[in-house]
Amino acid sequence: MKMKINTEQIKQYLFVIRQLSSREIKRKYTRTYLGILWSVLNPLLTMIVMAVVFTQIFQRSIEYYPLYLMAGQILWQLFSGATNSAMTSLVDNKTLLTQVKQPKIIFPMSRVFTAAINFGYTFIAFLVLLVIFRIPPSLTMLLAPVVFLCTLMFSMGIGYILSCLYGLFGDIRYLYSVLLMMWMYLSAIFYSVDYLSGPIRVFIENNPVYNFIHCFRKVMIYGQWPDGAEWLRMIGWAAGGYLVGLLVFRKTEHKLMMHLW
Amino acid sequence: MEDTNIIELKDLCMDFKLAVEPCDSLKERVVRGLQGRNEYRILHALQDITLNVKSGEVLGIVGSNGSGKSTLIKIIAGVLKQTKGELKVDKRKVQLLTLGTGFDRELTAKENVYLNGSLIGYSKAFLDQHYEKIVEFAELEGFMNEKIKKFSSGMSARLGFAIATAGDFKDILVLDEVLSVGDMAFRRKSGRRIHELIHGGATVLMVSHSTETIISHCSRAVWLEKGILKMDGAPEAVCQSYRSYMNAKA
Repeated sequence: MKMKINTEQIKQYLFVIRQLSSREIKRKYTRTYLGILWSVLNPLLTMIVMAVVFTQIFQRSIEYYPLYLMAGQILWQLFSGATNSAMTSLVDNKTLLTQVKQPKIIFPMSRVFTAAINFGYTFIAFLVLLVIFRIPPSLTMLLAPVVFLCTLMFSMGIGYILSCLYGLFGDIRYLYSVLLMMWMYLSAIFYSVDYLSGPIRVFIENNPVYNFIHCFRKVMIYGQWPDGAEWLRMIGWAAGGYLVGLLVFRKTEHKLMMHLW
Repeated sequence: MEDTNIIELKDLCMDFKLAVEPCDSLKERVVRGLQGRNEYRILHALQDITLNVKSGEVLGIVGSNGSGKSTLIKIIAGVLKQTKGELKVDKRKVQLLTLGTGFDRELTAKENVYLNGSLIGYSKAFLDQHYEKIVEFAELEGFMNEKIKKFSSGMSARLGFAIATAGDFKDILVLDEVLSVGDMAFRRKSGRRIHELIHGGATVLMVSHSTETIISHCSRAVWLEKGILKMDGAPEAVCQSYRSYMNAKA
């Protein structure tokens, strides 16, 4: 039965995901005047603050430093926002889980979808910035959606795992926030790996999120094509992360229902 | 067609593990694991239920609180999975209707129609097409752009009922306490709507606390008590025994 998924059903799942994430967005911005505009303003303002702080240090060695910074920032935001909110998705929708026949994976999925929409808005801000900095349009930019999709797949995989773990242990939330902080510093968002050498550099270069950010910068700012190894890592992490996440979710979902019930 | 079993349950059991001392943190779990104290108490929510439902039947399920009624219909609908035993039903055909599933108090009534409708399983096209009818049935014209949190409980229950029963269900319809909603007039109206659905050819399972509801709608009834199927038969007889049991208890 599980294998027999028709287009009608997929359309329905997408409809549910859209409804759930539009609820998320509406709720998030109730009682604000600027509403969804905040998802553009937030990274933009963070970028400005960080640019003010770090430009002096880094601008001589990093070309188009503000853009470099913002590219890292918005992709990081996509990953951390998606995984962080996917983590609590099952627990937050506890009552719904026992009342609705929809597959449970829809809940973490819709949180990731929400993060993707937010990314869409910040991406527009980023494009505006590209124009301001007179970055010439390049064919490599056409690859940005691929980088974006890979990041999304990887985030989904991690999000699935986290949502299960959080259902079993509330502690994960705090552990993950520490892990995220460490992960962020190891993703070369406001500095360049060229400053580093030895094992730490190898570590960062193998960090999947850094790899996504790096490729995103290459295609969007510097007009370069990612090389073979970068491609391999990017697609490998995306597919691997997603599949492992899916597997973990499938294995735990039943146990989790008993636990959350 | 009349004589085919559309739902078959054989020796179906459902156990819930309940931690003697509930623990939700990793530390507690680890500490207790090390001390060998991860104790569980098993709750037998359903025990050896054998039940066949024929196509076109309207089956009422009665029982006191915590008797396993909801667990049973959730297993049939595929929301939960049984611990043991067999269940034969085409889960894609089962429509589970609960009131106000996933209503979000911070959203407007209109937004909730779409959210709730999508979760129940209606397509966008269907909701667009039936929106007016839903509003009319719920008697909420002019309130649809208000947030649900401003609604009275009766208003949101009416909306929930209107959405839940907007479709034409040809297959298996599972109703979880959807009939005791709103004032007298609305109850009569909702009763009629359920009647229409039943006569549309659906097989219906309904859970209700009200024996009157069961008697007036069902062609057969079962009585669950503490996870055991106590009685199966004509609605009047089953409800009669259930009522006298409840009276004796009180």
